Amino acid sequence: MTKDELQTLLDSHGADPAQWPAALRVAALGLIASDARAREAHAAAQQLDAALARYAAAGTDDQTAAARVLTRLAGPLPRQDRGWWGLPAVLLDWQFTPAWPRVAALACCAAVGFMVGIAGLDRPFERTTTIASPATDITSAVFEAEPISGARP
Amino acid sequence: MDDSDEALMARVARGDEQAFRLLARRHLPAMAGLARRVLGNAAEAEDVAQEAMLRVWTHAPRWQPLAAFRTWLTRVVVNLCLDRKRRAQWVDLEAAGEIVDPAPGAGERAESDERERLLAAAIAKLPDRQRTAIVLTYTEGMSNAQVAEALDTTVSAVETLLVRGKQNLRRALGGVIDEGE
Repeated sequence: MTKDELQTLLDSHGADPAQWPAALRVAALGLIASDARAREAHAAAQQLDAALARYAAAGTDDQTAAARVLTRLAGPLPRQDRGWWGLPAVLLDWQFTPAWPRVAALACCAAVGFMVGIAGLDRPFERTTTIASPATDITSAVFEAEPISGARP
Repeated sequence: MDDSDEALMARVARGDEQAFRLLARRHLPAMAGLARRVLGNAAEAEDVAQEAMLRVWTHAPRWQPLAAFRTWLTRVVVNLCLDRKRRAQWVDLEAAGEIVDPAPGAGERAESDERERLLAAAIAKLPDRQRTAIVLTYTEGMSNAQVAEALDTTVSAVETLLVRGKQNLRRALGGVIDEGE
C-alpha cells in the first residue's frame, strides 16, 4: 500500500481501523507501523474525525425545533395520496361492521322478492281460475247435446 | 402492540393520525438536525422537516417497506435539502454575506471555540453532496453503504465524495484542527 492509498482509505472510511475493509486493514496497519509520514496521516485523520464528531454532536436545540414542527403539524392533515391501484385493497379491507344489519335486511328483502316471483304468488287468483275453467269454452256450448232432450244442434 | 417504525407506517397508511404523530415525535429531532446541517439554515431546516413528515403522511398508503423507514425518511429529507440548495443557487454569494455556524447559539460558541466555528464554516462551504455525505456519516453514524442508499448513488461514489470533502476541509482549515489537539 502506498501513502496515497492510505490517505484515500483514511478519508473514505475514517481513522478507525475497525471500519476499514478487511482486505486493506493489514497492509494499512503495516504501513502505519513502519512509516512516520503514514503515522502522521493517521494521527491527522483521527483529529479530523474527532472534530467532525464534535461538530455532529453540537446543536442540542433540535428538540425545540422538532417541537415547533410538531405544533405546526397539529392541525388538520392533508388528504392521503391513494392511487387507483389501491382500490382493490380498499375493497378487500371494506368494513361492514357499522352497516351490517341494514345490509342483511336488504339481502332478506331481495330473497323474499325472488321467492314470490318464482312461486307466482304475485298473479291475481281470479285470472287463474278463469283460464282453467272449461265452462267458459264457447265450442262446448255449441256442440254438446242438450241436457233434457238429448238433441244436438 | 408493535410500535416499530414499520408497524406505525402500516397504521399511518390506514389513516391513523395518532400513529403518524408518534412517528413524527420519534424522528423529527434527528431530521431537523440533519436538515439544519445540510442546509446551514435553522428556519429552512424546520420547513424541510415539516415537508418531509407531510410526505410521510400523504405517501404512506403507497409506501413499500423495501428499506428501513429511517433510511427512507433520511432520503426524503436529503432530497428536499438538495432541491432547496439547487433552487437557491441563483442567490449572489456576495450578497449572502459571511457564512455562519448554522447551529443555534453559534455566536456564543464561536467566542469560546474558534476552531469549531472555522470547521462549521468550512463544512458550510463544501459542495452540497460532499457536505451531505460527511453529515450523514458523522451525524447519523451511517455506513458508506447506507449513505449511498440515502443519496441514491453507489458506494464508490460516496467514498469519492468523502475523500474530496475531507481534502477540501483540510485545504480550508490548514493546520487549525491539528493545532487544536
